[in-house]
Formats: sequence, C-alpha cells, structure tokens
Amino acid sequence: MSDRKKASLLVVVIDTNPVWWGQRLVDQPDKSLTQFLDSIMVFTNSHLMMNHRNKLAVIAAHTNQSCFLYPRAESREAAGGGEPGGAAGAHDGKYELFAQVNEQVMEEVKNLILTSLEGHSETDSLLAGALAMSLCYIHRCEKESFTGEDLSSRILIIKGSEDNPAQYMNFMNAVFTAQKQNVTIDACILDNDSGLLQQACDITGGVYLKIPQPSGLLQYLLWVFLPDPTLRLKLTLPPKAQVDYRAACFCHRNLIDIGYVCSVCLSIFCSFSPICSTCQTTFKFMGLPKIAKKKQKKLNP
Amino acid sequence: MAEDDEKGYRWETEYEKSWEELTEDAAGLLQASVDEIALKAKRRKLLDKLGNIRLGMMRHLYIIIDMSAAMEDQDLKPTRLHSTLKLLENFIEEYFDQNPISQLGIITTRNKRAEKVTELGGNPRRHISAVKALVTRSCQGEPSLQNSLELALQTLRHMPSHASREILILFASLTTCDPGNIKETVKLLKENNISCSIIGLAAEVRICKKLCHDTNGRYGVILDETHYKDLLAQHITPPPATVSTESSLIRMGFPHHQLGSDKNGHEKPSMCMCHLDSKSTQGFSSTGYFCPQCKSKYCELPIECKACGLTLVSAPHLARSYHHLFPLEAFHEMPVAQLDPSVSRVCHSCQAQLPESNVYVCGKCQHIFCIDCDLFVHETLHTCPGCASSRATQMSHMSL
Ligand SMILES: [Zn+2]
Ligand SMILES: [Zn+2]
Ligand SMILES: [Zn+2]
Ligand SMILES: [Zn+2]
Repeated sequence: MSDRKKASLLVVVIDTNPVWWGQRLVDQPDKSLTQFLDSIMVFTNSHLMMNHRNKLAVIAAHTNQSCFLYPRAESREAAGGGEPGGAAGAHDGKYELFAQVNEQVMEEVKNLILTSLEGHSETDSLLAGALAMSLCYIHRCEKESFTGEDLSSRILIIKGSEDNPAQYMNFMNAVFTAQKQNVTIDACILDNDSGLLQQACDITGGVYLKIPQPSGLLQYLLWVFLPDPTLRLKLTLPPKAQVDYRAACFCHRNLIDIGYVCSVCLSIFCSFSPICSTCQTTFKFMGLPKIAKKKQKKLNP
Repeated sequence: MAEDDEKGYRWETEYEKSWEELTEDAAGLLQASVDEIALKAKRRKLLDKLGNIRLGMMRHLYIIIDMSAAMEDQDLKPTRLHSTLKLLENFIEEYFDQNPISQLGIITTRNKRAEKVTELGGNPRRHISAVKALVTRSCQGEPSLQNSLELALQTLRHMPSHASREILILFASLTTCDPGNIKETVKLLKENNISCSIIGLAAEVRICKKLCHDTNGRYGVILDETHYKDLLAQHITPPPATVSTESSLIRMGFPHHQLGSDKNGHEKPSMCMCHLDSKSTQGFSSTGYFCPQCKSKYCELPIECKACGLTLVSAPHLARSYHHLFPLEAFHEMPVAQLDPSVSRVCHSCQAQLPESNVYVCGKCQHIFCIDCDLFVHETLHTCPGCASSRATQMSHMSL
C-alpha cells in the first residue's frame, strides 16, 4: 500500500450453471446461489477497498452463453466505469460504487437465469468463452492504463459444475495466453474437481483450491484469494494439488497414459489407425521402420 | 550522433550506411502515419499468414554460428557476435514456444573448424545458457561451411523421416575455407532432405545462394539489426511439411506429475534419470514425472525416456501447437454505418465503445469486435471470444 502507483485488476468468473445450482438447492435448501453471490460481492468489495486504484470485472460462465455482469457497457457511461472518480469525495464515491457493483451483478444474474429458463440446459458451463473475454478485457485495461501505473491482472474462477471437454482447445489457448500476458488464474472449486483448471492454475502459477466447506466460501475467498499473487509467497497457503497432465484422445475424449500422436498435426489417438481423422494423412505401418526399409531397398533393384 | 561519427571511421560500414539510411526512410514514412494504419498493416500481415494448415511440427534444426574474425565487426552494435547471440536467445525461446516437441542444436565454426556446442535437444534453457556462454569466446580465423555442414549432417541424417531436418547458418564472413568440394556436400544434404537456410551478415555470397537454392532453404542478407530480427523470425514459424517427410503415428507417453508423498503422507525421494550422472544433489527429490511404460523418473518434459525410448510429453505441450492447426478465421471488416441500428455499439469481448470507423465481425458467431481485440484475438489468443461463449459455436475449432 506504500506504492500508490500499484493497481490490481481482478476479473471474477462465476459459474452460474443452472443445473448444478438447481441440484444444490435440492440437496441443501439453505445454500442458494443468492447467498453465494452475497459472499462473492463482499469479496469483490474488499478487493476494491484494498486500494483505490483497484479495478474489477465480473463475468458469468453460464450453460449456453458467457457474458459480462460488471461492467456492462450500457451502464458504463453513467457509472463512470470501474474506476471511482479520483478527486470526488472518496468515501461516498466508494459506497456508491459498491452498491452499484452489487446491484448490477445481481440484476444481470437474474436476467441471465430468466432468459435461459426455456431450452435445454447442459451440466457444464462455457468457461473458455468467459476466460477469453476476461483476457480481452485485461488486454484493453492494460493498454488504457496511464503511464506510471503498474497494473497487475488476475482471474479468479469460482466453479461448481463439470468440466467441458468440448472446449479443451479454446480453454488451453486462453491459458497459454494468460501465461504469456502474465495473468494469474486462480480457481476456487465448490464441487467437482476440475482437471482443466488444475492445469490452468499450474501453468499460470495460480492457486487451485477445492474448498472443503462451501458454506465457508467467504472465508476462503478472503484468506486465500484476496491477497495479490506477489504477496502470496509470504503466506502459508494450502499445499499444491497434484496435477493430472494426461492427454484426452481426440477420438473418444478418454484420458490416456500412452497414446499415438500424428506427426503432421499432433492429434492424439488412443489406438493406431491408418488415417488421421484430423488432417486426413495416411500413415505407413509402424513396426520396425528402419529395418523394413533397408530390406525393401535391397529387394527392389 | 556519436554513433554516426563512429560509423564514419570505418570504410566498410560507410557503404552500408547509405544503404541503411534508405530503408530507414521507408520505415520512417510508415511510422509517421497514424496509429490505425500501423494496426491495419499488422492485420494485413496476419491475413497473409492464414491458410497454412499442414505443418511439419516435429522439427530438427541445427543452428550454425559463424565465429570467424568477420564476426567481430562492429556494424551491428556492439559487435556482430554480441548482437547475434542476443537475438538468438530470444529466437530459441520463441522457437520452443511455437514448436513444442521440436529439437534444436548449436554448432560454431572458426579457424577452419566446426565445433558442436549443444547436441540436438528439446530443452530451451540448456541451449540458452550455451549461447550465453559463447559471448566470452573469441572470434578467430576463417569459417568452414563444409565442415560445419558435414557435422550437422552426421546427426540430422539419423533423424526420423517424419520430422523436418533443417540447418540455419548465421554467416558473417565473405569466404569459406573448405577441405573438399562443397558441391558434394550440397548434393548429400539434398539427398538427405535437409533444408539449409542462411542469413548473411555482410553481403550476398554465391555459394551460399546456391546452397540455399538447391536445398529448398531461404537466403537473406541483413540490412540492419531490425531486419536481422525479422529474418530470424521467419524461421520460428514451422515450415509447411515437405512432400518427402514421411508422416506417421508416433507412440508417446503422457506421464503423471507425482508429488512424492504417498497416501500415508510418507515421502519417498528418488533420483531422476536426467541427473543420474551429475555429482550434485540436483535431481534427488520426491517429485517428478514417471514414464508410464517403465516408471523411470524425470524432472522435465518433453524428454525421450532413456530406458525405453518412449517420447514423454505433457498434454499442454501439444496443445500449445494446436492453434497452428486450427487457425482462427479472419474477422470481416465492416464500417459502423452498415451495422443494424438495434445492435449495441460495444465490443463483445472488451466492452469498449466502438469507434466511428470500422468494426470487425466474426463470420461464425456474428459478434462484433474492436480492432484492438481483433488483433489480440488473432495474434495471441487464437480463440474467438464470441464463438467460445456460445453453446452453438463453441466447437468451431473441432469441426475441421
Ligand atoms: Zn493428423
Ligand atoms: Zn520409459
Ligand atoms: Zn474489444
Ligand atoms: Zn466468433
């Protein structure tokens, strides 16, 4: 807090999957999405309170779309964006900002759930899209940040639903981009362990935590995820989880230890096949290639 | 100013200086124009790059560095050698970023001899530290193209036929001192399907041109350091697979990363295969990657298992290359005026108000983006945020 030029941009990605939250409501009627959102709002307000330059964005990963909850461009002009107006009475401005963040997020979540009521709902969420949007937003904020300001950015994903293997490629592209742009990805897991997020956190140096007590969400958020990655070295955090780096084959999406990789396009298959289904390359038979070839040459002439 | 004066003393740079000034003028003209033109040029460059889907992504590349007396020249600052090594460090990092399961090796040539600095390998850190160590070496005598080519050939000819075999020579001298007829070597290289490219630091040399032409390589002579960097960068992107590289399915292992302690919390430290020969305690720990076939332990990936020969990689290693394979289609440029008035004038991914000029529309998901996001998405992210955030279009990458 001594360095006034430092600022931190936090993008919170909330998994709002209606199937998972619905299931949850059946199991534990007292732990609804609203209560979780309340905890998340207290957390985001705390982030804004840490430093008056801190910035915030909230994005929802829903079942059939992912979208910005805050800031929404339509209300941006009126609200003056994510940054509280510098000279204006700091205290009053801040309370207004909090109220505005909270109201807007709640409002948008309500809209999101109402608009997706009809139609088929999947058990997984569109996390890759939310991540891609986060990275674009971060890219823009870093471009817009004035000279002398040291803006560090990170993404926190709060997720309960299952992994979405169909998004593997998009997801990994986003993770490598985050690594390249020095953006830390943290994951706070409410229910299903996520192999994809374990990799994402490991690659970008973030914290992956499956919380043992979902009702204590706020405490975990404040203790583990509020401190900036630079401060975390000084804290005693939960030990690192083991990361599953196995590959998923392109043919069945099974996780495999040993597989076959196409030398042309690097697609992964769980068994040998004569034609690559991705790039249509035909393969020669594999067994002992060198010896076989030499013999052929001798026979031919 | 001081730099200009210094250049004036050297007869050999005086000629080049006038040349340099010419290109600087051209570049200066470009830079003088407004920001948007630069962005648009970037966009055009990206558009040119698209449509190259089949790539030979397992590359084997030897870099031959000329360490002859000609490398001491100061037309690049502070010397040709320093500048080369600095660019090379960056090159190696980028090379492994874009060619994750490829290999690279370094050879130097001076005093008519060739010397192998690093064997072919997939660990960028090893090569970078070797390159850093070269700074202290002195540049002497004449280089030998033939000797260094033969040295590279010895290793490359044994590389599997499904992988590309390449040589890149950074050549400062205008002469080469060879023991035999270099044309024989060129013929051998051609027969072994090895492509040789040369970046000349001085001027065009006939034998270099012939070598590159005969082996399907590229030949370029640098104008200045920026141009040098550009020429090097051309060798980072994988070359299109040549017809003669055989394609095959390669068996690979995807090891677990084990954290050592077992279910009861006991740690069982062991030695990894990569540091077996080292005298230090490095490599002795309870964490590591275990070969799924023979359970040998390694501390780094990718690596070829020393015990059973299985290539060990992690899934993200491969995933890093997939964007070459499934390039994201370019967005369509469209004037704002043509937009449906009901559509909100906001960039879908960064929430910025769209400018009065042009916007960029994804052909698949029809979402609208600003030019900054368009560039960022195509240069770095390789995923359309619009497509990825909608159930209907999220699979677009896999539909190939
Ligand atoms: Zn293939
Ligand atoms: Zn093995
Ligand atoms: Zn944008
Ligand atoms: Zn799209």
